[in-house]
Amino acid sequence: MVNDKSSSSRRMGGNKKTAEVTRRGFFGKTIAAIMGLIGFGLGIPLFGYAVLPTLKKREEPWSEVGPLELIELNRPKELEVVRSSSSGWMKSNTVRSFWAYKKPDGEVVAFSPICTHLGCGYRWSDADQQFLCPCHNSVFDLEGKVLAGPAPRPLDTLPTKIEGDRLFILYQEFKAGLPKKEAI
Amino acid sequence: MNRLFSWLSDRLKLPPILHHLLDEAIPGGASWIYIFGSVTLFLFLLQATTGTFLALYYAPTPDHAYESVKFIQEEVPFGGFVRGLHHWGASAMMAAIGLHMLQVFLYGAYKPPREPMWIVGVFLLILTLTFGFTGYLLPWDQKAYWATQVGINLVGSVPWIGGTLARILRGGAELGALTLSRFFAIHTLFLPWLIMFLIAGHLFILRRVGPAGPWDKARAKRISEPFYPKQVFMDAVAMGAVFLALVVLVNLFPAHLGDPADPTDTTFRPVPEWYYLFYYQLLKYSEGPWEPVVTFVLPVLFFAILFAIPFLGRKRERSPARRPIAIGAGALFLVFVFTLLGLAMKETAALKKTDPAVERGRAIYAKLACAGCHRIHGQGAQVGPDLSFVGDARDRDWLIAHFKDPQALVPGSIMPPTRLPEPELEDLTRYMLSLKKG
Ligand code: FES
Repeated sequence: MVNDKSSSSRRMGGNKKTAEVTRRGFFGKTIAAIMGLIGFGLGIPLFGYAVLPTLKKREEPWSEVGPLELIELNRPKELEVVRSSSSGWMKSNTVRSFWAYKKPDGEVVAFSPICTHLGCGYRWSDADQQFLCPCHNSVFDLEGKVLAGPAPRPLDTLPTKIEGDRLFILYQEFKAGLPKKEAI
Repeated sequence: MNRLFSWLSDRLKLPPILHHLLDEAIPGGASWIYIFGSVTLFLFLLQATTGTFLALYYAPTPDHAYESVKFIQEEVPFGGFVRGLHHWGASAMMAAIGLHMLQVFLYGAYKPPREPMWIVGVFLLILTLTFGFTGYLLPWDQKAYWATQVGINLVGSVPWIGGTLARILRGGAELGALTLSRFFAIHTLFLPWLIMFLIAGHLFILRRVGPAGPWDKARAKRISEPFYPKQVFMDAVAMGAVFLALVVLVNLFPAHLGDPADPTDTTFRPVPEWYYLFYYQLLKYSEGPWEPVVTFVLPVLFFAILFAIPFLGRKRERSPARRPIAIGAGALFLVFVFTLLGLAMKETAALKKTDPAVERGRAIYAKLACAGCHRIHGQGAQVGPDLSFVGDARDRDWLIAHFKDPQALVPGSIMPPTRLPEPELEDLTRYMLSLKKG
């Protein structure tokens, strides 16, 4: 491959030369084939090993919040929930908050605590009966609808379920700034 | 492909480099006997690659090491494959180095002017053994923990400085977080730099002095063949075969992960990797005054001789037939090593065949903290009788009766009656009966 007209083939006559060239070609091709085989045999598993676990969708577990009495009628309260998460082999608990209230028909409404504009934390104002985001002054009503400000979509609701007298929540985070709700 | 090559070649002036790399003359021509060096290098690169990828998910702390290895082994796609390759690759590398050294020794290729190459080679062997020793601890399972405990205790038995050395290795007084993190750092940072440097030196010397070729000078002169293509072809075939063999091994015998390391369980009997096994066997025969000889004098002597080999015979003769002393000594050494290895394998095979009842009994022994009074193979207190070989002295009925009411059989015994459900009592007795000589 380096110098095909090199010493070895120069010494040889015409016929021998072609034989030498094909021999060289055979060796070269076999070497390339073996190296390619090792390369693929190693490369594909290593790629999968490094990349596939990062693509796995994480499964959110339901987290128990506590007794239903925590929730008040039509008056949102910020509640905390311990969310168990796992990263690889590490299982850890993190505390997250969310806003929740009960509707007259008993249905529980829960909102992600993250403003849909740029991700600040908003507050419920009893006086205004509105959610106020202090960052860029977005305002939402009890239903989460945008009343004013730059927020591109209503507050993000979180799935809840009730078992006995206990409230459970499926805590999730959503991308801020988009007109549509999209989980992270 | 060709156009890209010539484009690059024009700019980077590749032909002289390729000529230098590939057209080196091999005296006596290409040969299958020369593949071991390349295979060792290939295995080193494989270890470096798989090791780098293992580091993606490995956590070098006692509270996560085991979990992270389990995660790699059981949950990461191809995790078992990558870990298996690294595990078996280590063994393969030891085998390849052994064969490589054997070939060099047989061909007298360490003789002038290649002494520096041999010496760098011995350093490479020591580094590889250190890789094996430091890597062994990282999964932090029982085997890893106890084998390392034994290894460090061996170092600790060196006269004068042993205690200090052991502390330095452990990173303190006990085997724990500091030990694991320093073994990890040595295994993945210190040693790789060092070995790359030495491998470069080894290859540099090879290119300066040239390959040794056959011991028959006439033959070496008569035939000369460039490194490429035939030798490269042979090396590639060997590498491909080794790679395939490893893939098969990994699939047939996945790398093992035992129970998590438990420093309180002193009944665990570690068996080292096969490449330390002959030495382990030697240790079994060395009790009392012989111990320092085996743990300290012999290894030092072994490596001293290894380093001295190129300077022992002054003759330049390379043919094995005309080097009876060297070849004889080498053969003797091999017979010695393989005899020990064979004995050790026989014993470990016997060890593995122990029935599950014995294992359960061993677990009960650990749980009841019998080692608080009794000693088995050097582990445990010496309040009650040493039980290392109790299976030779007592039979099943005696043991069971004795467990139930020790004073009835041994008047004045301080051993409390053992109140266990029948099946557990049976298991414990089976374990006692398994403690026999030979
Ligand atoms: S983040 Fe809430 S208004 Fe900007």
